[in-house]
Amino acid sequence: MNMFSSLMLASLSVLTLPIMSSILNTHKNSTYPHHVKNIISYAFITSLIPTMMFIHSGQETIISNWHWMTIQTLKLSLSFKLDYFSMIFVPVALFVTWSIMEFSLWYMHSDPYITRFFKYLLTFLITMMILVTANNLFQLFIGWEGVGIMSFLLIGWWYGRTDANTAALQAILYNRIGDIGFIMAMAWFLFNANTWDLQQIFMLDPNLTNLPLLGLLLAATGKSAQFGLHPWLPSAMEGPTPVSALLHSSTMVVAGVFLLIRFHPLMENNKTIQSLTLCLGAITTLFTAICALTQNDIKKIIAFSTSSQLGLMIVTIGINQPYLAFLHICTHAFFKAMLFMCSGSIIHSLNDEQDIRKMGGLFNAMPFTTTSLIIGSLALTGMPFLTGFYSKDLIIETANTSYTNAWALLMTLIATSLTAVYSTRIIFFALLGQPRFLPLTTINENNPFLINSIKRLLIGSIFAGFFISNNIYPTTIPEMTMPIYMKLTALTVTILGFTLALELSLITQNLKLEHPTNMFKFSNLLGYYPTIMHRLPPLASLSMSQKSASLLLDSIWLENILPKSISQFQMKTSILISTQKGQIKLYFLSFLITLTLSMLLFNLHE
Amino acid sequence: MSLVHINIFLAFTVSLVGLLMYRSHLMSSLLCLEGMMLSLFVMATMVVLNTHFTLASMMPIILLVFAACEAALGLSLLVMVSNTYGVDHVQNLNLLQC
Repeated sequence: MNMFSSLMLASLSVLTLPIMSSILNTHKNSTYPHHVKNIISYAFITSLIPTMMFIHSGQETIISNWHWMTIQTLKLSLSFKLDYFSMIFVPVALFVTWSIMEFSLWYMHSDPYITRFFKYLLTFLITMMILVTANNLFQLFIGWEGVGIMSFLLIGWWYGRTDANTAALQAILYNRIGDIGFIMAMAWFLFNANTWDLQQIFMLDPNLTNLPLLGLLLAATGKSAQFGLHPWLPSAMEGPTPVSALLHSSTMVVAGVFLLIRFHPLMENNKTIQSLTLCLGAITTLFTAICALTQNDIKKIIAFSTSSQLGLMIVTIGINQPYLAFLHICTHAFFKAMLFMCSGSIIHSLNDEQDIRKMGGLFNAMPFTTTSLIIGSLALTGMPFLTGFYSKDLIIETANTSYTNAWALLMTLIATSLTAVYSTRIIFFALLGQPRFLPLTTINENNPFLINSIKRLLIGSIFAGFFISNNIYPTTIPEMTMPIYMKLTALTVTILGFTLALELSLITQNLKLEHPTNMFKFSNLLGYYPTIMHRLPPLASLSMSQKSASLLLDSIWLENILPKSISQFQMKTSILISTQKGQIKLYFLSFLITLTLSMLLFNLHE
Repeated sequence: MSLVHINIFLAFTVSLVGLLMYRSHLMSSLLCLEGMMLSLFVMATMVVLNTHFTLASMMPIILLVFAACEAALGLSLLVMVSNTYGVDHVQNLNLLQC
């Protein structure tokens, strides 16, 4: 009997303390944000101990406290599953959140509602923790919906701006469509496995799992912005940069991937769903990488980069490697959050300028941000022995040597090289060259909050991959032997992408601006997907429903079918076939004469 | 044929000629139509009562009902004409239009 479960529960429950304190109204003072940041750092350190115990001994725990209700044969209780996935994800998430909280102490310093902002971020973190430690689908759904709601509140933080409100609503709508899949999976499990507990589902191992896994795939498409339900993620950049760093790069959007990883015992038996996830992930990663090539807003480029990496995670699940996908989740959190924080630092220093065409020459003006941006981009593209290498290179190697769909593999490789291309684009436009911003600058990165938070994530981006990979226990054996060209594939396409992008940027730097080509327009307008899908289906369905409700029922069935059609028909035919001229007296007279003549003929005929 | 029958038959014929030959008012035609109906009714009733043909004593009453309908129809046509022209002169009906 050790302190494993107690420490983990303590770490999770100290997170709720600042929320409780808001009931006592002690949260109105100005040191509340510092309290929140400190509490998250304490929770992180506390959660490291159970994680180290887990790494040392492989101990997994399920904590089932409180029996909530029993509905006929379904037992709902509060239960936490502390296994491989939650034990490693919780410290990583807490570490990244700690750095982001410290960063937002600097970024949101002048915001009058900074305490509310921190409360929202903390509530988001609590619901995310509920999601990853859930042992039954009901608790997972509570966390799922919780992160959706907090995402809505945080994206629309500056609610005076119309675009922010639209983006928040868009996030909710797209997530809702994904939730339909989740509820379908829950209903299927309720009917066929009589439970929402993960243990019972995996033990029963149902045979025909196509329907629930399709539902879970739809839920992951909605929450993790896969192709088809992806436009909310770039629109969500309307929120403040800490929100983008926490929600839309590290934690919330990986909830969909996490759900699929949780269900890997069911997925490894279903080849159809695996192929479906593989193709979906491949389409997503290539499409969003293409869209990222011509964007001009630095946050949108990083958002599309997130979307592309999420597609890569889904591809990894599709080749039946859930543990590699999870490793990529953890490593991706570090450098993506850091990239967002560097972009936040640049934006704030250039007085809220987000367009990369108006940045430049920051290499000498902001050396620390430059360093972390370049290291983050290198980690993202999978430079050997930085963090991203340990997950991304393994994924590409496994995909190359596995019996998989060649088209999906090709898409993934092209997307990997495009990752290098748009990373070069960010570095080239934002950092190199001569300054393109206004001369009266407010560039200042000397704040200790900013520097400490980015420094922590910087060290994480360099060493975390090595650290985590060395300490986890071996799960699925990676492919050990392969031809040398396969081993070097990821590196080759990345270097190819870098050189190509650098050459093109340098050559075309001073050329005259031409009219955009069709490919450029396709990439810049996000493949026309939002333009078409946000206008055409609503117009079609609304006009169809209006026509069927008012025109069909009222106008046609009640008015036109019998009364008006009969009168029109009579009028038309009478005009058509009448040759009369209205000489009534003549007609009557001829009738009389005919009658008289016939009478005479009949009577006087022998 | 007895004198009564000839009398009524003559009344019918006079009304028929009056229906088919008239000067200008459509109303006179309708009036003669009513006269025809009246003479037919009297003729039918007399025949049925004289021959004690009880089963057919419904016929004159049904004839009356249908004649009322047709009189209403004729009057509505007269009203349509009168709405358009003010008077019901027959020489106005040369336009083939309502």
